[in-house]
Amino acid sequence: MIPNGAEVFKLSRLSIAWLSIIFGIVWAVCWSIGVGLPMLLEGQFGERVTLINEILKAVTPIVAILVFIPINAMFMVLIERRALAIFTVRKGPNRVGPDGNLQTMADAVKLLLKEDITPTGADAFMFTLAPILFFAPSIFGSLPLLAAVTNNHDLFKILNLPTGIFYILASASLPVVALVMAGWSSNNKYSLVGGLRSAAQAISYEIPLVFSLITVCLMAGTLDVVKIAQQQAGGILNWNILGGGALAGLNQFFAAIISGQGADKALAAFYPYGGLSYVAALVLVPCVFMSFCLYLTSACAEINRIPFDLPEAESELVSGYNTEYSGIKFAIFFLAEFTNLFVVASITTVMFLGGGDNPIPPYLLDKFTPFPQMIAALRETPLVKDLHLINPETLFATFWVIAKVYSLVFFAILIRGTLPRFRIDQLMNFGWKRLIPLSLIIFVLVVFARGFVISHG
Amino acid sequence: MATEFQDRVDLKTDEMIINMGPQHPATHGVLRLLLNLDGETVKHVEPVLGHLHRAQEWQGQNRTWFQYQALIDRVDYLSGMFTSWAMARACESIDGMVVPPRAEYLRVIVGEMNRITSHLLWLGTYLIDLGAMFGFPFYPFREREKLFDLFEEIAGQRMMYNYIRIGGVLRDPKPQWFDKLSKFLDEFPDRIDEYEAIVTENPIFLNRTKGIGILKQSVAKDYAVTGPCARCSGIPIDLRKDKPYSIYPEIEFESIGYNKDGDTWDRYMARILEMRESIKIIRQCLAKIPEGDIIAKKQAAGMRVKAGEGFAAVESPRGILGCYVISTGTDKPYRFRWRNPSFCNLSVLPELLVGAPIADIMAIFGSIDVILPDVDR
Amino acid sequence: MSTETKPPEPQAPLPAGQYGQFLSEHGINSERLPDSLGAETIVLAKQDLDSAIKLLRNSSEINLDLLITISGVDMADSIDAVYHLWSYSHKGELVIKVRALKTEIPQDQLPTVPSIARFWPSANWHERETYDLVGIRFTGHPYMRRILNPWDWDGHPLRRDYKQPVDCLNDKNPHSFR
Repeated sequence: MIPNGAEVFKLSRLSIAWLSIIFGIVWAVCWSIGVGLPMLLEGQFGERVTLINEILKAVTPIVAILVFIPINAMFMVLIERRALAIFTVRKGPNRVGPDGNLQTMADAVKLLLKEDITPTGADAFMFTLAPILFFAPSIFGSLPLLAAVTNNHDLFKILNLPTGIFYILASASLPVVALVMAGWSSNNKYSLVGGLRSAAQAISYEIPLVFSLITVCLMAGTLDVVKIAQQQAGGILNWNILGGGALAGLNQFFAAIISGQGADKALAAFYPYGGLSYVAALVLVPCVFMSFCLYLTSACAEINRIPFDLPEAESELVSGYNTEYSGIKFAIFFLAEFTNLFVVASITTVMFLGGGDNPIPPYLLDKFTPFPQMIAALRETPLVKDLHLINPETLFATFWVIAKVYSLVFFAILIRGTLPRFRIDQLMNFGWKRLIPLSLIIFVLVVFARGFVISHG
Repeated sequence: MATEFQDRVDLKTDEMIINMGPQHPATHGVLRLLLNLDGETVKHVEPVLGHLHRAQEWQGQNRTWFQYQALIDRVDYLSGMFTSWAMARACESIDGMVVPPRAEYLRVIVGEMNRITSHLLWLGTYLIDLGAMFGFPFYPFREREKLFDLFEEIAGQRMMYNYIRIGGVLRDPKPQWFDKLSKFLDEFPDRIDEYEAIVTENPIFLNRTKGIGILKQSVAKDYAVTGPCARCSGIPIDLRKDKPYSIYPEIEFESIGYNKDGDTWDRYMARILEMRESIKIIRQCLAKIPEGDIIAKKQAAGMRVKAGEGFAAVESPRGILGCYVISTGTDKPYRFRWRNPSFCNLSVLPELLVGAPIADIMAIFGSIDVILPDVDR
Repeated sequence: MSTETKPPEPQAPLPAGQYGQFLSEHGINSERLPDSLGAETIVLAKQDLDSAIKLLRNSSEINLDLLITISGVDMADSIDAVYHLWSYSHKGELVIKVRALKTEIPQDQLPTVPSIARFWPSANWHERETYDLVGIRFTGHPYMRRILNPWDWDGHPLRRDYKQPVDCLNDKNPHSFR
C-alpha cells in the first residue's frame, strides 16, 4: 500500500487529462492546417490552390511545435511540482483550478504580466538576445525529431534530414553561448560565475554525450533519425538500448520458432561468424547499455538538471545566469529549460528506446491478439479513409512515444527529488576523468564488435 | 609583436569581491559575507553581522525578570528551551532556589526533544545547502512537526515556548502526553534510519562533505568552539558530562563525536548520533520521572531575584549557551549578558573558508550550524 | 517599572584563591571578590591583563584555555570588562574583572582596556561587541569596529546613561506612529 495513494492517483489522472488535452489540441491544429484546410480549398477551387496547399503543409510542423511547446512546458512544470510534492510528503499546488491543475497557467500569466527589468549597467541588447538565443535552438533543433516520433507521418516527413542526429547535436550546443551571454550581460557577479560555469560544464559534457550517440549511429549505420527509429521496429529485442540491434538475430530466432520455420537459418544470417559473433553480441549489449546511461548522465548535465545544475545553483549563486531576469525573459528561460528536458527525453526515446515501437514484438502481438484485425477495420472507417483524421501507423507510434518520453521525464524528476548537487571541480573531474575515457572505451569496443554481428537486418 | 603576444600570455587576473548576503538563499537568515574571490577560490572572508540585532541585552536590563523571560526564547528560536533553561539556571543559582525533581526531569525531556527538533531542522536545511533542493529535505520536517505538536500541548506554542520558568516549569503534562511521546520515540529511530539510508553513504553527499572544512583541534580551541563542532575535532567538551547540571549525572548517555577528523561529514554524523542519544535520554527520563511539584515558587509579574551575580550555562544543540546575570535585588536585571554558541562558532568561519571554492562555502557554513538570531541577538 | 535599579554595593576584601595564588607566584597582584556561583572572581590591573591571561592559558596545570565570553558592565563607579575563563580539559573556572574607574576616564573619551585578541582569536569578536554595546576601547585590537550596531550608530546602548535615539517609531517622539 502506498502511503499517499490518493496523491499518486491524482497525479496519474492529471497526467492523462493534460496529455489528452495537449495532444488533442496539437493534432487538431495540425490536421486543420495541414489536411482539413487544403482538402476544403481543393474541393472549392481545384488545381489552382496547389501552391497554397503546399505552403500550408510546409507550415504545419512549425505551427505544431509552436503550439505544443508552451502548453507542454506548463504541463511539465505542473507534473514536476506535483511529483516532487509526492516525494516529499507535501500537497503540491492545489488552489488554482480543479486540484490545482491550472496552477502553471496562472503562473504563466503572472510571468507575462510582470515588469520586464533591465538592470543598470547591463548590456541591454545582449541581455535581450540571450533568452531568445537560448530558446530558439530548442525549437529548430528538435524539428527532425518530429518526423521520427510520428513515424514519418506525411505532414512531418519534410522535416527529416539525412544527417538528422548531427543537426540535432549541432543545434543543441548553441544554448551555451546564450547562457554565457546572459551571465555576462547581466552585470551581476553571480550571473557571471553561473555563465562561466555553464560554458565549462557544457563543453566537457558534450564529448561523452556525442560519443554515446555516435555508438548508436555506428550500430545503425546511419545518421538519419527516422531510419534509426524505424530500424528498431519489431519488439523490445530490436531496440538500441539492448546492444544497438545486436539482439535482432535473437528476435528473428524467436519469430522463427513461433512461426515454426527456419530457426537455425535466422541465427546464421545474423551471427555469421559463429561463436565469435555471439561473443561480440555479448560485448555489445553492456556497451550500448552503458552508452545509454552515459547519454542520460551527460544530457542531465547539458540541460542543467540536478545533480548537475551548477550554473543556477540556488544555494551558492542565488539563481546563476538568470538571477537578473524577470517577466517574459525569465519565462522564456524557464520554458526553454523544460523544452530542453523534453527534447532530451525524445532523443533518448528515438535513439535508444525504439521510437514509436511497441515493446511486444509483432509475432506475438499479431498471433495472440486481435490487433491486426482491429487496425484493418480502423483503416476502413471514414475517419481514416476520407478525412485522414487518424493515421493508424502514427497513432500507436505516438502513443508509445508519449509513454516513453514522459517516463524519462518522470525519471529526471525522481532524480531531482533525490540527489544533492555536485561541486564544480568534482563535476569537471567526473566528466573528464570518468565519462570521457569510458565513452571512448565503449566506442572502440563497439567499433570492433560491430563487424561480427549483423544488426537490424 | 613579441610584447603584445607576451601580454596576452600573462593574463592579468583580478580578485573579485562578492557580497554574499544578507539576502542570499543559503545564509540562514541575514549573514553577510564579504568574499574576495580568485576565480572560484576564496581568498579572504569577512563576516558582517548585526542585520538581525534586536538588542536582547538592552531589553534585558529594561524589562522585568518576568517580562524578559518571555523574550529570551527569541534569542535562539530553534532551541528556545535552552535559552529559557540557561536563564532559569542562572537566576535559580543566584536566588538559591531548589527546583523540584519532577521539574528537572521535565526540563531534560523537553530540552532533549528540542535538541532533536533543532538537529532535524539543521539536517533539512543543510541538505538544501548542498543542493538537494526539493526531495529529501522535507522528510525531517515531518518528524519535527510531530514534536511541535507535543510542544504545543504543554507550552501552547510551537516554537517560542516560554515553558521553562525560573524555579521550575510552566505546566505539568497530562499522562496521555507521555504516551504520545513514547509512541513517537518508538517510531523515530526508524525515521533516522530512513534519513541515513538516503544521505549517509550517498556518493555525491560523501564527495561534498568528506575532507571538507576540516576544523583542527588547535584552531577550535583558539576560537572557543563548543558543541558538536568541537567534539568532532577531538575536544571532549560536553557540559552535560563535564559540569553536570540538572539530572544529567543520573542518566546514562554518551557525548558524541570524540576523536574524529573534524570535517563536515563528521559534524553531520555527530548530529545524527546525538539525536539517537537524545532518544535514549528521554526514554530513561520517562522511566524514572517522579511525581511531585513542578515549580518551586509560583511566579508573579513583580518577581525579584536576590542580589548577586553569576554565569550559568547549558549544553544547547550548538554548544555552550550561557548567560552572565547581575542582579541587584530589584525586579529588573542589572546586566544580562548572553554567551551564544553560534556567535563563537561563527568566528571560526574565516579560518575554514580561506582556500575553499564557492560551492564549499555553504557546505562548511551550514555544517557549523549557525542560527543568525543567536549570533546577532 | 516600580523600583529604580541600583548598582550592587562594593564588598570587603577576601583571601586569595587558587588562581590568585598562582598569579601572585608569578608576580601578578590580584584582588579577590566574592565567588560568583562557585567560580573564583578576581580583579586585575589593566597593565597585568596581558601577561596574566597568557600565563593562565598556557601553563599546563592551570590551562584555562576556553574563553567563554568577555562582557562589559557599567557599574556605579567603574566600567568593568569581565572575562569568563573555562578550561577544555578540567572543570576550573575563573572570572577576571578589569576595572576602568569612571573618575579616571577623561571627559568625552572611552575607557581603555588592553586587548587580548592579538594572541587569542576568540576574544576578537567579543571585544568588538563590548566596544559596540558598552563602549570600552580595547587598545591594540586589530579591527576595533562596531559589530552588531550599524557603523554610524551614536553612543553605546548598554551604558546606564544611554539615551535612546528619537525616531519616527519611538515612544519618545511626539509624532510617533504608536
